[in-house]
Amino acid sequence: MARHEAFQGSLPLLVLKILARRGPLHGYGITARIHEATGAELRVEEGSLYPALHRMEEGGLIKAKWTITGNKRRARVYEITKHGRERLDLDEKRWVAVNAAVLRALKNA
Amino acid sequence: MSWISRAVGVFRSGRLNRDLDDEIRFHLEARIEEYTSEGLSFAEASARARREFGSPALVRDASRDIKLLPRLDAILRDVTFAIRLWRRNKLVVGAALVSLSLAIGACTAAFSLIDAVILRTLPVDDPSSLIYVALRAPDEPRDALSFNYPLFREMRAASARQVRLFAVSDQAKREAAFDDTAYAEKVYAQWVSGDAFAILNVKPALGRVLASTDDINPGQHPVAVLSYDFWRRRFGGNPAVLGRWVTIREKTLQIVGVAARGFTGVEPGIMTDVWAPTMMWDDRAIADPDTRWFRTWGRIQPGVADEQVRTVLQTIFTTFAREKVALRPEESQDRLNRLLNTRVHLRSAATGPSGLRQNFAVALWTLAAIAALVLLIAAMNVASLLVARAAARQREMALRAAIGAGRGRLIQQALIESGLLALASCVLGALLSIVVTPRLVSMISTSGTTVRLDVQPDWRVLAFLGAMAVFVTFVFGLAPALRASAASPADALRSGGGRHSTAVNSFRPLVASQIAFSFVVLFVGGLCLTSFVKLLRTDLGFDPDNLALVNITASTTGLSQEQTLPSWIALVERLDQTPGIDAASFSRWGLFSGSGRNKTVRIPGRPVDGYTPWYMPVSPRFLRAMRIPLVAGRDFEWRDVRPAVPTAVIVNESFASRYFPGESAIGKRFVRVDAGAALVDQEVIGVVKDAKYTDLREPAPPTVYEPYQPQNAAVLQVRTRLEMGALVATLRGEVPRAHAAFRLGDVTPQSTLVANHLVRDRALAVLSAFFSLVAGVLVMVGVYGLLSYSVVQRTREIGIRLALGAQSSQIVTLVLSGIGGVTLAGLVIGGVGAAFAGRFMTTLLFEAERAGIWSIAAPLLSLLAVCALAALVPARRAARIAPTTALTIE
Repeated sequence: MARHEAFQGSLPLLVLKILARRGPLHGYGITARIHEATGAELRVEEGSLYPALHRMEEGGLIKAKWTITGNKRRARVYEITKHGRERLDLDEKRWVAVNAAVLRALKNA
Repeated sequence: MSWISRAVGVFRSGRLNRDLDDEIRFHLEARIEEYTSEGLSFAEASARARREFGSPALVRDASRDIKLLPRLDAILRDVTFAIRLWRRNKLVVGAALVSLSLAIGACTAAFSLIDAVILRTLPVDDPSSLIYVALRAPDEPRDALSFNYPLFREMRAASARQVRLFAVSDQAKREAAFDDTAYAEKVYAQWVSGDAFAILNVKPALGRVLASTDDINPGQHPVAVLSYDFWRRRFGGNPAVLGRWVTIREKTLQIVGVAARGFTGVEPGIMTDVWAPTMMWDDRAIADPDTRWFRTWGRIQPGVADEQVRTVLQTIFTTFAREKVALRPEESQDRLNRLLNTRVHLRSAATGPSGLRQNFAVALWTLAAIAALVLLIAAMNVASLLVARAAARQREMALRAAIGAGRGRLIQQALIESGLLALASCVLGALLSIVVTPRLVSMISTSGTTVRLDVQPDWRVLAFLGAMAVFVTFVFGLAPALRASAASPADALRSGGGRHSTAVNSFRPLVASQIAFSFVVLFVGGLCLTSFVKLLRTDLGFDPDNLALVNITASTTGLSQEQTLPSWIALVERLDQTPGIDAASFSRWGLFSGSGRNKTVRIPGRPVDGYTPWYMPVSPRFLRAMRIPLVAGRDFEWRDVRPAVPTAVIVNESFASRYFPGESAIGKRFVRVDAGAALVDQEVIGVVKDAKYTDLREPAPPTVYEPYQPQNAAVLQVRTRLEMGALVATLRGEVPRAHAAFRLGDVTPQSTLVANHLVRDRALAVLSAFFSLVAGVLVMVGVYGLLSYSVVQRTREIGIRLALGAQSSQIVTLVLSGIGGVTLAGLVIGGVGAAFAGRFMTTLLFEAERAGIWSIAAPLLSLLAVCALAALVPARRAARIAPTTALTIE
C-alpha cells in the first residue's frame, strides 16, 4: 500500500472530478471510486479524506446533506456546486498543463 | 487556536460532533461490510478498516477546526476591534458602561426585593384557593385583620362545609429558652391552629407537624414544630432535636417535628422559626372576645364560590356583633351601627397578607418606578453616546462598506460590540446588586422584627435587564451600521457636515427626555426626603433620647402581685437613686413598642360614643422619666398603685378636651369598661401634655395613664447619661437583688423604637436620594456628551467666527444656546410628569401636601445647575479654539 505525498495535494481535484462525473456520493463512495479508478496504485489514508471534504465544503466547492441509505443508516452525501465545477475546470487544465510540463522536463532533462 | 475551538466546541459540540462521528462511523461500517463479504471475520475486518482509516478522533478534531475556526476568527476579530475602538473612546464607553451598570444594578436590587415581598407566592399547595378573612367597617379605609378567638371558633364551626378556617397569630420575635442552653435567644414564633399544616398541605421533614388534636384545650398541648431552616441553623440538622424542650412566653413546649423544607411560614418575606398550637398562646385570650391576636385564614372547599363563604361568615359575624352589642345596651347607636354594618371580606392569600406588604407595597412600587425611570435615563444616555460616536465613525463605516464589508458583517460587528457593552454592564450591575440588596434588606428591617427575606439576586430580572441593555445598545449601534452600508460609499466618504448635524438633531430629544425623567426622579426624591425630615422633627410629646427601655420578666410563674409589687417598687426606687440615672419607672410596655390597648369609657352625663381612648399602665415617675410635662394636678405616687383596684388616673390634654371640654378635668370621675362588661371606677388626678403612643404620623390620641401593677413582666424606663454598657452592668447587679426571680431581658434605647417607625421612610428617602444622584450624574453625562459633540462638529464655524473677531463670551453663548431649548423642553415636560407623580405620592408621604414651592424649585434648580456644570467644559473648550487649528481641520 503505497502512500503518495504528491497525490495528497491533488485529492480535492480528484474528488471534484468524481463528484462531477458520478453525481452525489457519500465519503465512502468517493474512496471506493478513487480505488476503482487508480487500482492499488494510489491509496490515501482513508480518514484524511474527511477533513479535505470539510475544507472543500467550507470553501463552497461542494455541498453536503444528510440522507438515509437503503439499509436505514444516516449518510452524508456530497454534491459538487457551481463554484466547484468552475474550479474543477480550471484546476484540471492547470494540472494537465503542469503534468505535461513535468513529463517533458523528465524526458528531456 | 485549537484550544479555543475546543472551548467553543464544548458549547456547540452537540450537533457538530455527532454529525462528524456519524459520518466516520458510516464509513467504517461500510468498509467492514465490504471486507466481511470478501470472507474476513468481523474482528479482522474491523481491525483492517480502522487501520486504513487512521485515528477517528484526529479526523474529527481536524474537521471540527476546519468548520469552526473561520467563524470564531471573525468573532474574535470583531471583539478585538470593538475593544480597540473602546480604547480610543474611553470617555464615551466608560460613561455608557457606568450608566448601564448603575441602572442595571439598582433596578435588579429593587426588583429582587419587590419580588421577595410582593410577587412571590406562598410556598404551599394550591395557593389560589387560600383566603384570609378581613373586616371592613363603614368609612374605614383599611381592612381589620385581627380576630378574637370566640368569634373565630363560631365561624370555623359554622362554615366547615364551605371553607376550612385556621388561625395564624401575628408573628413577632420572642424570647425562647431551649433546654440545651441556659440563655434565652430570639426566635420568630407563631401560634397556629392545629390543622393549619394539614390545610396548607405542609408535610413534616422530621417527626410530625401539628395536628388538630394538638389544639383542643387551652394550655393542654405543649408541643412545637420547628422550621427546616431554623432546625438546620440552630441544631445543625440534628434529628435528636425531637423531644427537646423550649420555653416561650412562659410555656414549656416539646419539639415534636420539623416542617418540610421550603415552608417558611404563611407570610412571604418573614421566616418563622417555631410554630405552636393556638391553645398554647394564652388561656385567657382564648375565651376573651375583646382580645384580637391572630388572623383568620382558610382554604375554600372545592366547588364552593367565594360569595357563598362570605355570606356564611357574614351571618356569623353579624350575629356575634349583635350579641356583643346587646351585652352593652348603654353603648351608642353609633357603635352598634358600626359593628352591625361591618362587612366580612375574603382576600386572596395567594401572596399572603403580609404586614410587610401593606407597609411597603406602595413604597416598593414607587422605588420600582423610580428605578425604571433611571433605567430609561441610562438607556437614553447610552443611546445618545452611541449615536454621537457612530456619527464620528460614519466615514470608517463607509470605508469598510466600500472595501466590501457586507451588510451582515457590519451588523455582526454592531451586535458584538453592543453585546460586549451589555455583558460588561450586566456583570458590573450584578456585582452592584449583590452589594446593595442586603443593605436594602437591612434598611427596611427593624430591631424588633428583623426582616429576614429570602432574597436572592434575581437572575430573571438581571437577564431581562441584560436583554434590554443588548437591545438598546444594539438598536443604536446598528442604525449607523445600516445607514453606512445602505449609503453609496462615494457619497458617504465625502466629508458630510450635513450628516453630523442630523446626528445632533437625533439625540437632542433624547437629552430633553432625559432631563424630563430626571426632573420626576429628583422631584419624588425630594418629596421622600422632606417627608422623612418632617417625620424626624415631629414632636413626640416625650423625649426619646438618653432613655433606655429595659425588659424584665419574673421567671417563676404564679407569683402573685402582692409578692412581687414591693420588689418592682424597690427596683425602680434603687435605680432612681443610682448616680448617673436621672429617673426610673416601669410600665406595662414601652411607647412605640408596637403594643397598646384601647378601652371603652363611660363618662357620667355623656352619651357613649364609638371612640375608645388609649390606655397606658405606668408607675409613678413614668411621666418624669419620659419627660411628658404635667399641666395640672399631680403625678402618681406609690399609694396610687398599691390598692387592689387602683382608681387614680392621669389623662392627656386631648382626652380632657374631648370628654371634659371647657372645664378642668381634675377630680372628674368616669368608668372603664372591661371584658365581660366589668366596670372600673376611675378618677382624674392629673392632666399632662399630649404624647404620641404608637403612631408618629397621627396626632397624639386621647390617652389615659393608669397605675400598673406588674405580675410577671414590666418594662423599665431609665433616663440616664450612662453608656449602654455601664447601664447594663448596673442592671445586672440590681435586677436579681430586687427579686431572685427577676430576669434582665433586652435593653433598647427608646429612640430606636421610634426610629423603627421611620424605617420605611428612611429606606424610601435614602434610596430615592441615591436614585436622584444617579439620575443627576446621568443627565450631566448626557448634556456633556451633546455639547462636546456639537463643539467638535462646529469647530470650523467657531474658528471662523473667532477669526472674524467674535469675543469668547459670544462663543460661550453660542454653545450654551444649543442646550437652552433642550433643557427648557425637558424641564417643562418633567414638571408635568412631576405634578402627576406628586398627586400619587401624597398618599404615601407625611404631610406631602404641605411640600410647597421648594418641592418644584429644588429639582428645577439642581437640574439647571447640573446642566450648567456639564456645559462648562465644552463651552470653555469652544472659547479657546484657535482660529488656525479650526481652519486647518479637514
